[in-house]
Formats: sequence, structure tokens, C-alpha cells
Amino acid sequence: MLIETARMLRRDIFTMIYQAGDGHPGAALSAVELLTALYFKVLRIDPSRPDWPERDRFILSKGHACPAWYAALARRGFFPVEWLPTLRKLGSPLQGHPDMKKTPGVDMTTGSLGHGIAIGAGMAAAARLLGKDYAVYVVTGDGELNEGIVWEAVQAAAHMQLGRLIVLVDHNGWQSCGRVEQVSGLTDIAGRFAAFGWHTQQIDGHDFEQILNAIETAQAERTRPSVIVAKTVKGKGIPFVENDNSWHKRVPTKAEYDTAMKFLGA
Amino acid sequence: MVKTAPDNAMASTRDAFAAALIEAASVDRRICLVSADSLKAARATAFAEKFPERVFELGICEQGAVAFAAGLAATGLIPVFCTYGCFITMRACEQIRTFVAYPGLNAKFVGLNGGIYGGEREGVTHMVFEDIGILRAIPRIEIVVPADAGQARKATHAIMNRPGPVYLRIGSGRDPVVFDDSTGFEFGKARPVREYGTDAAIFANGPVLKRAIIAADKLAGQGIKTTLVEVHTIKPLDIETIASVLRQTRAAVTVEDHNIYGGLGSAIAEVIAEHQPARLIRLGLQDVFPESGDAEQLLDHFGMGVQHICDAVHTLLARA
Repeated sequence: MLIETARMLRRDIFTMIYQAGDGHPGAALSAVELLTALYFKVLRIDPSRPDWPERDRFILSKGHACPAWYAALARRGFFPVEWLPTLRKLGSPLQGHPDMKKTPGVDMTTGSLGHGIAIGAGMAAAARLLGKDYAVYVVTGDGELNEGIVWEAVQAAAHMQLGRLIVLVDHNGWQSCGRVEQVSGLTDIAGRFAAFGWHTQQIDGHDFEQILNAIETAQAERTRPSVIVAKTVKGKGIPFVENDNSWHKRVPTKAEYDTAMKFLGA
Repeated sequence: MVKTAPDNAMASTRDAFAAALIEAASVDRRICLVSADSLKAARATAFAEKFPERVFELGICEQGAVAFAAGLAATGLIPVFCTYGCFITMRACEQIRTFVAYPGLNAKFVGLNGGIYGGEREGVTHMVFEDIGILRAIPRIEIVVPADAGQARKATHAIMNRPGPVYLRIGSGRDPVVFDDSTGFEFGKARPVREYGTDAAIFANGPVLKRAIIAADKLAGQGIKTTLVEVHTIKPLDIETIASVLRQTRAAVTVEDHNIYGGLGSAIAEVIAEHQPARLIRLGLQDVFPESGDAEQLLDHFGMGVQHICDAVHTLLARA
């Protein structure tokens, strides 16, 4: 069921980017299982009430992967699937990067990298002050961990003991200009979070069982914020896109689109 | 004529803000304080004692603090982030723009050490004379520059009642008292402070308004009749009042503790260009970096002295 849903989201993603003539397929495809698990299994949400105060919060810190988020929200019933082809077009509620004021279900505007954890920490701290028990989930890229504000927030969230903050790192190993290790020297992500006092786990980010188990373990943590470093494949699900970083930002041709749809079972 | 204070009276805008914040938070449980190791600078230790659960200390990280505040605001709280204005508006500029102003979240920013007067002995790194220009270029955020402590207190209450993001610029804690304590504060309204006549208009805000008042009084003694208008709300700008004064004077001097680019002088120049032609001289920091020094001496040295204001009015009248 989740596997089928993930395949559907991948079709949506590639179709949206093909129709929009712009977007980031590689980064959206690597996050599909994480988003599928969250939206179709984990999150306490009500699509008919996107502003329900008791809902779990979700932030896609890697906002450029938003076709995946939009597809998940549409398929979960937050807005009509017919909106998806309007991505990046004038007047559309689906902006090139997420806008919380335009898109039902989007809890925070993102796109400028590195901000999800800091904002999520604020939401988690607010829950404690307001006596609410919602959890805050953030999906961040690995490349964006280069941003200094990430580590400002990682330090503060541990110091504030924000146990309801759960961060999932979509560790696909690539950033815009190359391998994360080569571009920025980013290694041992879990170790870095652990050094700040976070609860850490490392999993295969395309394996639903591992994703769901890790989230359950993270939910049991009450005083430490949690990070789940999910090893993923950039472009996952479409063989000629996988691990080819030219698909970081690229639009498929008609032939590429048709081939991809066959791989995705359309 | 608005009743003003004796020349040598001093009171802290920081303490006034902090007192008002406690008053506001006592009646509105949504109000909380975000600190970047700035509790002492914000004079907010009393707030922290009274409402410990409503203080969020991030440590010295202004970008993280603003993004964190966005998270608080997105849940319906009203965060107030207070630290030096230079760090709020320059280091955390993008966080304000993209994560607060763009989604229209209800967060408030209180910038300390406004201008070279507020930064005084600290020097350029801890002064801010670009904040108004930076924020004026960002849609949706409102900007208030109160003249003194009493006004800072009332302005704090006023901004807490605004529905969206607001920046309030205050000073060092060693600030001149400009107005009599009974003076009100109406958000968004430019206010005539002296109405001697229509030879020229003087527009000013912040602590340097004190100098503009002295200059207007002095000029009146010389037979030059000006209208002095305080423009404490820079955004939204009270274009109607400003244009109506300009219509009568056709000549204006602006006085602000800010670079002459981007702030009050620029705002008035825009009104002049689009609504009501007039001659204009902008006083303020003349696009140079200032230095450490005594606050009053700094203003005199960098072109914001009483004599500079009087001279500017004379120059304008000679151009007529």
C-alpha cells in the first residue's frame, strides 16, 4: 500500500516538473518514502481542517523538493489533485517553493535552505508552552546542513530539551554542485547531531519498515530532540535519474518523461 | 503645539519598552520574549522573572532566533525578539523577510542602539543606521521610531496590537526625553510638533527630534516660521499629512539618525516626487561610517546638530 502510494507520488512529481517546465526532480524523488510514511501513516492531521490547532506540524526544510510535498498533500486530500499541473504557474497556489499562505497543509514557508530545524524548534517550544502534545517533523536535506543556522538551532533545541522535535535528514549524498563530502566536507551527520546532545538513528530512507520503526523510537524520546539520518538515493525510482546529479534541477524531455512513466508503472 | 520636555531630561527607552512588555504580557498570554543572549540589553530580566516560561533563550544567534520566533508565531503566539538593531536587521535580514514578513506572521522586533546616538561609544559595529532603509524595502513589515522613553512605552503597546510584523527602533538607555509624559501616541500618524508657520517644513523622528524642536524654536525667534512634523511611523507612511504640510511650505528639511539613503529622508523625497513637489535637504549620516564617541558630540560631528538644521532651513529659503 505505502509502496504503491510512493510510486504514485513519483509519477505526480515527474509529471508536475515536466508540465511546469522547471523544478528539482532528484531532490523530490529521494524524499518520497519519508513523505509517504509521514503523510499516510504517521502524522496526526485532518485534511478537512488544515489549520486544526492539535495537528502534528510538518516542515519541508528542503523546500525545492516541494513537488513531493504537494503530491502527498493532494493525494492525502488537502487540495484537489487537479491543482498539481498548475505548479509554478502564475496564479497557482503551488509556488515554486512552499508558501504557507497559499497552500492548504503547508505549515511553514520554506525554500531558503537551512531554516526548518530552527522554525520547527519554535513550534515544538510553543507546544510545550501551550500544553499541546503535537509533534513537529522536519525533513531536511543533507547539503543544507552546510548552513550555519542549522547548528544554531540544533544547539538550542537540545538545550531546550525539545523531545517532540523529530528531524529526518534526506541523506541522498548530493548537493547542487556535487557530492556533499566533496563540496562541503560534510561527513558523519549522526555524529554531529549526537555531539550536540540529540538522539540519533541511521536508516535506509527508502525502507518503510525502517522509517516507521525509527519514527516510533524517536516519538518515545521525551527530553532529547531526535534526528533520523535516512540514507537515500537522489532521483530514486527512475533508473536514469538515480544518482545522476544533472537531475538536481532539470526538466525531462518528452521521451524521458514517457520512459520514466513506464518505469513508474503508468 | 505639542508639550515638550525640559532640555536636559533623560530616560531610558529600553526600560520603557521592557516595562510596557510586562504590562502587555500581563493581559495577553500569547506574548513571549525571544532572546539572543540579549535579556540584559533588553532590560528584560524582570520580564523573565515574572514570566519564566515565556522567555526563549537561543544564545548568541540572531538568525536562529528570528526563525525560531517564526515557529512560535506560526502556532499563534506573539514573539517579541529584542537585541541590537544592527544584528536584527542585518544578520537576520533574510529570516525576517522570508519567514516572518512573507508569511505575514505576527512577530515583533525591537532594535536597540538605533542610530549613531544609540550606538554612541560602542562604535560602528554596534550602531545601526541602515535598519529603516533595509526594512522599508521589505513588503508587509511595519516600522516605528519613537522619540523617547514615554513614546517607546506607548509605541510598544501600539505595536502589540498590530496584526502583523513590526520593527520598533529604540536607543541605548541614555536617551533624551522629548515629549511631556502626557503626550499620546497614535500608530501610523505623522504629528505636527511645532506649527510656527509655512516658511519650511522640518520632518524628524527618534531622539534627534529633540534637536529639531530646539532648532524650530530658535528659527522662530529669528522670525523664520517652520512647521515641525514628527514621523514616528515610517511604514505605513502618513502620506496625506506629509503632503498636506508640503503643499503649504514647498520646502522641507528631514532630520534622522540614519544614513540619508533609505530612511525618513528618502521616504519624504518619495512623497515629494510623487505627491507634492518641494525643495528638500536631507540631514542625517551623509553616507559615511561614523565612529565611537559621546552621543551628543557624535550627532553634532556628523551633521545632525541644531545649527545644521537651522543652516539647512536658511539654505532652503535662499533657494526659493
